[in-house]
Amino acid sequence: MSSPGSVLVDQPPPGPAPAPLPGSPGPGALLAAEALRFWSRRLVRVLLVLGAAGYLAGLLLASTQYAKPSAAGLADATARRQQMLVQQERYRQDCLASVGSPQGPPTADQCGPQLTADDIGRVEDFIDKQPFTLGREGRDGALVVAAATAVFAFLLGATYVGAEWSSRSMVALLFWEPRRYRVMAVKLTILAGVTAVLGVAAQGVWLLAARVLAGLRGTTATPARLWAQLAATSGRGVLLVVLVGLLGFAVANLVRNTAAAFGAGFVYFAIVENVIRAVRPAWQPWLLSDSAVALVAHGGHKIFLNEGFVDARGFYQSTGRELVVSNLHGGLLLGAVTALIVTAGVVLFARRDPN
Amino acid sequence: MNVIEVHGVSKTYRRRRKPTLRALDALDLTVAAGGVHGFLGPNGSGKTTTIRALLGLVGVDQGELRLLGRPVPASLPQVIGGVGALVETPLFFPAFSGRLNLRLLARTAGLPASRVEQVLATVELTDRADERFKGYSLGMKQRLGIAAALLKQPRLLILDEPSNGLDPAGIRDVRELVRRLGADGSTTVFLSSHLLAEVEQVCDSVSIMAAGRCVASGPVGQVLAGRTSRQLRLRLADLAGARQVLERAGHHVSAEDEALLVTAPQDPDELGRLLAEHGHWVRELSPVAVDLEAAFLQLTENRPAPAGGPVTEEAA
Repeated sequence: MSSPGSVLVDQPPPGPAPAPLPGSPGPGALLAAEALRFWSRRLVRVLLVLGAAGYLAGLLLASTQYAKPSAAGLADATARRQQMLVQQERYRQDCLASVGSPQGPPTADQCGPQLTADDIGRVEDFIDKQPFTLGREGRDGALVVAAATAVFAFLLGATYVGAEWSSRSMVALLFWEPRRYRVMAVKLTILAGVTAVLGVAAQGVWLLAARVLAGLRGTTATPARLWAQLAATSGRGVLLVVLVGLLGFAVANLVRNTAAAFGAGFVYFAIVENVIRAVRPAWQPWLLSDSAVALVAHGGHKIFLNEGFVDARGFYQSTGRELVVSNLHGGLLLGAVTALIVTAGVVLFARRDPN
Repeated sequence: MNVIEVHGVSKTYRRRRKPTLRALDALDLTVAAGGVHGFLGPNGSGKTTTIRALLGLVGVDQGELRLLGRPVPASLPQVIGGVGALVETPLFFPAFSGRLNLRLLARTAGLPASRVEQVLATVELTDRADERFKGYSLGMKQRLGIAAALLKQPRLLILDEPSNGLDPAGIRDVRELVRRLGADGSTTVFLSSHLLAEVEQVCDSVSIMAAGRCVASGPVGQVLAGRTSRQLRLRLADLAGARQVLERAGHHVSAEDEALLVTAPQDPDELGRLLAEHGHWVRELSPVAVDLEAAFLQLTENRPAPAGGPVTEEAA
């Protein structure tokens, strides 16, 4: 058939009846191919080796910061704590004596309450090299490991899909699997699986290292349910790693470029968040980095909103308050933002003509 | 059976701060199974847009497309296993070897690794298959692209400008490969090209595009047959003397190397008789064959630009 005005001549005679058509592959074949594609990338392997080396170096460095306290060291630390308590009380008494004077505060409340030894800190805090405790250092370490692994996952996610766009192999893949939602679902599944394994491995290594550190350079005495709390913190850490990995993928998929995704991440975390903290501190619970900490930290993330004013006499009157951003709040916010950007990128990929 | 059917397909690109661009203008095109079908047209005539629409890479404004008898893009997942394609430049991971790039695609389609080796051998890349793709020459990249398109043992092989970037030996090899594939009876090759000689040498049938429309379609010989040059070539010993005789008789004559070109009279035998009467004995009297280039230029010249603005290469 041809358009009006065209020259129409006979086509060659039709051939024999064709065999049934082979369709596109099932999701299993696609998953296997994606896993191989992910693992075959040299950058991924280099990143994993560097990440593992950095992790090991960090553990070794951390181990040098702790030591089992000696009896003499504990006695010295107790004395130093007592000395500080006495000194603080002396400052308070001086403050109370000056209430109402031109140089003093207007009310006794400004001088604060009488401090106890617990307010000053633990005895261990007054030792030069503190002992490693699972209840404190173990939990804080799980948070740090989760944050570092999450940054790593962001790099992996962004470079994974960014490389597909820069080489245009994403388009080539459509010659083999034209269902674009399926293509994206498979890639997201692979990334979620890889980052989950990464997160579990990182947290597992940390829990093991923490146990070893506590035995060698601290105390293994554990409060009730500590291991359950540590496991929960680590589990939330794994969730953070997966979400941030998907976020890196989503941003790079939206802008279709790895470097642009890194740039967007830098601008947001280094500039936008800091500007918001300075200008609108009350918005901090809605920032991604605070939500990330809130998701992982045991008991959520405490944010002190440092608000106040300078009175007529030049004294700063604090109206600051402490907010607790819960694990659930942090997880929901981070999950919602990730889901939104993932969805936007996937829908654009499905509807827009790829170049 | 038709492997490609396109009915009334239009595609307009809307561009920022530029006029809209109609790349396809109610295009009708049919390609029957078997052989090599050339898809010829000047740059910007809509060839690549047609191919991208058939493969679901661009949506069309209106019209119907069918691949291997099924409507696309709706049924593309059901037919894609029977379609191999090389569109524009080959798209591979630059840091992966040629072999690994093909293995990834083979695994995507659930094909065995042995099939990779077969197609590497077909395009004669086995010895270089473990080198990185980014180190390949343009010709090697193009051959790897063809190998990828062949992986699925496709019933329909779509090749978009496969000779781009190839040296003369590479062009010859690709043409031989295309000819061989078209002759094996199981694969229909749809070859998009702006190289007239390529289509003329390789294709059994041809469709000619101009301004988003198909202006001619059919076996190459028949498309050419519709375009006559109306000239005869004469070879004889005394060219100058024969020319005087013919011009005195009112014929339009021009010189060509060691021959004369004469506008064909109603009765070509008249020329032989006339020259013989004046002692000029004709060694050759043959019609000047029209080539595809002449036909192509006749068909595509002065085609009005479709409504919506000119068609540019970027669109196609």
